[in-house]
Amino acid sequence: MIGKNVRHDSGVSHVSGESIFIDDREALGSEVFVGILTSPVAHGVLKSIQSEKALAHPNCLAVYTADDFVQKKWGTIVHEQPFLVIDKISYMDEAVAIFVTDNRYKIEEIKELFTLEIDELPAVFSIDEARQKNMIIYQAPTPFERGNVDEILKTAPHTLAGRFRCGGQEQFYMESQAAVVYPLEEDQMEVHSSSQHPSETQRVVAEALGLPFHKVTCIVKRMGGGFGGKESQAAPIAAYAAVAASKLKRPARCILTKDEDMKITGKRHPFENDYEVAFDDQGKILALKCDLKSDGGAYADLSSSILERGMFHLDNAYYLENCKITGTCYRTHTHPNTAFRGFGGPQGAMTIESIMEDIAVHLGIDSYDVRRINLYEGDNVLTPYNQKLENNLLPELFDGLYKQSDYAQRREKIKKFNAQKNGKVRGLSMSGTKFGIAFTARFLNQGNALVNLHLDGTAQVSTGATEMGQGVNAKIAQIVAHAFGLDYLDVKVMPTSTEKNHNTSPTAASSGSDINGAAALAACNKIKSRLTSLAKLMFEGIKSDDLNEYEIKKGELDSDIEFKDKKVKKLSSGQTMSLVELLSAAYLNRISLGDYAHFKTPALGFSKEIVQGKAFNYFTQGAAVSEVEVDEYTGELKVLRSDIYMDLGRPINPGIDKGQVTGAFIQSMGWVTTENLVYSDKGHLLTYSPTTYKIPNIHDTPREFNVAFISNDDNDCNVHRSKAVGEPPFLLGISVWTAVKNALSYRSQSKLINIISPATNEVIINELTKVKSP
Amino acid sequence: MTMAEYLRYIRGLTGTKIVCAEGDCGACSVLVSRIHNDQLSPYQSINACIAKMYLYEGCHILTVEGLGKAMDLHPVQEVFVDEQGAQCGYCTPGFICAMAGLAEDLKIKNQKPCAQKVKNYLTGNLCRCTGYEPIIQAGLKLDLENTPSLKDLYRDEDILADYKKEKPISIKITGPDQEIFLPKTIDEALAYKTHEVKMISGATDLGVVTNKGKLKLNKTLSLNNIENLYQVEKSDHFYTIGAKVNLTELEKKLSSDFPEFARLLHIFASPQIKNAATLVGNLVNASPIADTIPFLMVSGAKVRLQSQKGLREVEIKSFFKGGYKELDLRDDEIVTAVIIPRTQDEYKLYKVSVRKDLDISVVTFAAGYKLQNNQFESLRLALGGVGPIVITPKKLEQNALGKNLGPKLFQYLAQEVEHEITPMTDHRGSDQFRYQLARNLMIKFGDEILKELNPSQFEASI
Repeated sequence: MIGKNVRHDSGVSHVSGESIFIDDREALGSEVFVGILTSPVAHGVLKSIQSEKALAHPNCLAVYTADDFVQKKWGTIVHEQPFLVIDKISYMDEAVAIFVTDNRYKIEEIKELFTLEIDELPAVFSIDEARQKNMIIYQAPTPFERGNVDEILKTAPHTLAGRFRCGGQEQFYMESQAAVVYPLEEDQMEVHSSSQHPSETQRVVAEALGLPFHKVTCIVKRMGGGFGGKESQAAPIAAYAAVAASKLKRPARCILTKDEDMKITGKRHPFENDYEVAFDDQGKILALKCDLKSDGGAYADLSSSILERGMFHLDNAYYLENCKITGTCYRTHTHPNTAFRGFGGPQGAMTIESIMEDIAVHLGIDSYDVRRINLYEGDNVLTPYNQKLENNLLPELFDGLYKQSDYAQRREKIKKFNAQKNGKVRGLSMSGTKFGIAFTARFLNQGNALVNLHLDGTAQVSTGATEMGQGVNAKIAQIVAHAFGLDYLDVKVMPTSTEKNHNTSPTAASSGSDINGAAALAACNKIKSRLTSLAKLMFEGIKSDDLNEYEIKKGELDSDIEFKDKKVKKLSSGQTMSLVELLSAAYLNRISLGDYAHFKTPALGFSKEIVQGKAFNYFTQGAAVSEVEVDEYTGELKVLRSDIYMDLGRPINPGIDKGQVTGAFIQSMGWVTTENLVYSDKGHLLTYSPTTYKIPNIHDTPREFNVAFISNDDNDCNVHRSKAVGEPPFLLGISVWTAVKNALSYRSQSKLINIISPATNEVIINELTKVKSP
Repeated sequence: MTMAEYLRYIRGLTGTKIVCAEGDCGACSVLVSRIHNDQLSPYQSINACIAKMYLYEGCHILTVEGLGKAMDLHPVQEVFVDEQGAQCGYCTPGFICAMAGLAEDLKIKNQKPCAQKVKNYLTGNLCRCTGYEPIIQAGLKLDLENTPSLKDLYRDEDILADYKKEKPISIKITGPDQEIFLPKTIDEALAYKTHEVKMISGATDLGVVTNKGKLKLNKTLSLNNIENLYQVEKSDHFYTIGAKVNLTELEKKLSSDFPEFARLLHIFASPQIKNAATLVGNLVNASPIADTIPFLMVSGAKVRLQSQKGLREVEIKSFFKGGYKELDLRDDEIVTAVIIPRTQDEYKLYKVSVRKDLDISVVTFAAGYKLQNNQFESLRLALGGVGPIVITPKKLEQNALGKNLGPKLFQYLAQEVEHEITPMTDHRGSDQFRYQLARNLMIKFGDEILKELNPSQFEASI
């Protein structure tokens, strides 16, 4: 069961169209819809909201403003973001008011009827301007510092300095933010939310309504994609629906259109990282100094942790003997940026991958050799934040991929191809990933699970994990099925609900299966201990009857009792019975067939003040090599081939893990190529729908795409020795961008290639035109 | 009301999803078979989110729910689950419908799936989870022999019998602030057409702008039910393309005579869009970045305009009068056909967009030409996306004649083209980028000609 490529737990209902998402829920007759009125300016003072005309509309039932919220602000780390503008508008399309209608088709019409009186103020949209004005959300307290960097930069044989810039990215989950709230008796609220963090949604709704937490239950059956975008920012949407439901005592639904979602909600953080690097003739980095600067947008959201993860991943796969890494998150008048797969990690890692390409061009050597010489290897495994990289497979991964992908031969072919000058130029580049697994906020590394066995030998399991497509439910079902020797389909993972699982962590940081799978296994083992002890009694021939009951308090696991294929077997004697028989005996003898367990990732703890401790439980590692072709007339980009080689420990479900790898890679490829967030001078997002914001489509995938996993049985610090997979492969899409840099270098006459991300065809053409000119 | 809204909120068929509401993501894909001359056409996928329900009167619509149920999956659904093609599941019903359309088409043509075909049929479906790879694998593993034809799922006879009960007649729908007319004959249509009547064709643009509240339709006229407008006529000298011919059909019909144009249509848009959109619609919508207009300009095409007063044919170049979306089209006239001359000309057509497929152009370029003695005997050029209308640089065309073909000529044309155009900056690209593209495309045009003439000596001039 563990290690099998079983179907995604919702696969069948997904393909038949029977899966129910929030807006697929049948509307009750009295249900109402909530529309959101947003700000037409990026910065200003809200003087008044004139809503008389809107209220006069026959389909407009109510208008609510900040005053209608008991607690007026929310925020996962800092409570500073207003649900609705209180007086100060801080970003374009910030929610100003909500209104309620009984006809969802009238939402746009009603929106037009409001008048806002605003004193507009000058807005800040760039990191540089925010820096000049000292608009700071968060600054890392202590640099990650080792060695005398400044001295080495002065004396090293080679140095380079520059600024790496990457843009934001829209999560573009297919299901936009959505919630429906049913008011129950005694002010209780049943909240169905498309949320990665039901406990947060529960708390935020309760605070908005001034209710104790126990009156609010948040249920998440599934999401149509999350990618981080529903970690914090699902909560206010649920609160809007909840306020309407609470005031009107009617079920209320708030469903954002894709356009609204893209304009209102936060995205991946743009970063601008200034660096100075010193290196020797072989390209070995002697010292690296890097100051990371992120654009947090208008409110703090998760920005501080995201910045820190950027700093944690600046080294990526490379050992930095001497380094100084600093970071600041700036406040601007754009949507509050938030979590997105990788959580700052990609923005850090891409900086050093870009530097690798530059060093190669500067020295006239292959960028693979530069990376290889800098790789974590042997004794050089201490990260800049003083955690040792254990179980390091990076050298094997890089060397293996170099061979598997025919790197050397292909490099020669590319040189020949590019020498022909036929209007196309090709590039090849390998990049790596070493992604730290754990929430850097230690308290989030806990989970709980409830497992119920039924008398027919089926099981229901509930955990804090939310299913957003990543297959966490399938993996948990596999873990439970494996524990009791059930068939996969005998286990159902139930909707995540705060009444069954309390104080859950967001399904984020790639840790959903790690934490919740481990909690589920712990709950299974509690039940299994009792069943094992019972089975032993039964196999020994001890009987129970009306006078004598089997008494088992805690029970104990015993490897002599095997649960397999719906049977229970005493290995030493060969005795067997059906699992159903054992379950029946347990029930009749009043032994519980259900249990609950709590799990915390052991031995974590990191101080950012002194930069010491263990920030991560382990690292998921990998490498990718991509070959691209650039059309020199149009700047159009084709990815000819990508090969990925990853260490995922012992995958619980290799099929699902492969889907995570290909999905993350393509998503990342979009981030570094076509996904371009363009804003007007006033701060309007101009690329707010798939017509203008281009995520990869099926033709953009590499013409040849190979994914392989290295075998690794040693990850004993995680459930069934698996490794987390959600975010780590996202960093591998960076190889497409570094391959573009490599391609352009063939036309640059040894000049460094200075492109931003995303490398749109405009960026490519501009750079080509620039480097070709003498 | 759109078809997707009708399916979801009136019929409770929530498998069909609405994501973008603009036909750009495919989550709303359904299959449609239209009745022509008492026969059901093969099922084609469309975007239900922008499809006006009334445009599908007399059609058989197959949604994901109609293909198979959880306990009784259709083979396309089965292979999709097996290959882990569904992660979050939100785009999945759309993919299933599009892939069922692929399976049906392959069965009809007796072909096997290949990666290119699979991708072509799924161009219009966005997935944010899988990276497409598992979906491509599912497509490649389609077991067509054991896949029933969609026609066998629902018997044609039953559908046709139902259809005949509802005698096909001209239809007028009148609401409090809206009137919709779907006549059976062109005469009825012409009698109805006045300045306040908005024509609607495949609704691939109008469906978007009405969804987004940018336009309210008061009086709408559709030629959908006029049977003879669905024809492509081929004579010795012309192709006459009826107003209702969709772009999928057009691509098929023109592929041998105009392979370059067929190739452009190929990347024009998704199957879902091309199955609904028409050439006439693209033309009359008159966007300066419409992909078909530059070709029509350089091929000497004409439009056929009909009114109650009679019929006239106008050259495309003079059909566009110079201002943004300004047409030589009277209020009582309807464009009933496009006429493309069959000549010996060669064509080069380029489209540059941020994303290669299913994206709106940054710049388009078209050249129609004849070569003789290493010179242009004739040359017509058109560029889109570089001004309020598609630009035809007359001076350049003239100056190119009588000069020997070579990098020098095209460098000259590339330098000169910037005086002919007035591009602007928008979210797709800056004006400077568009200038650069116009220059580069001229060089590309030259390079391709020079390469064809002398492949062994070729070196790119870029």
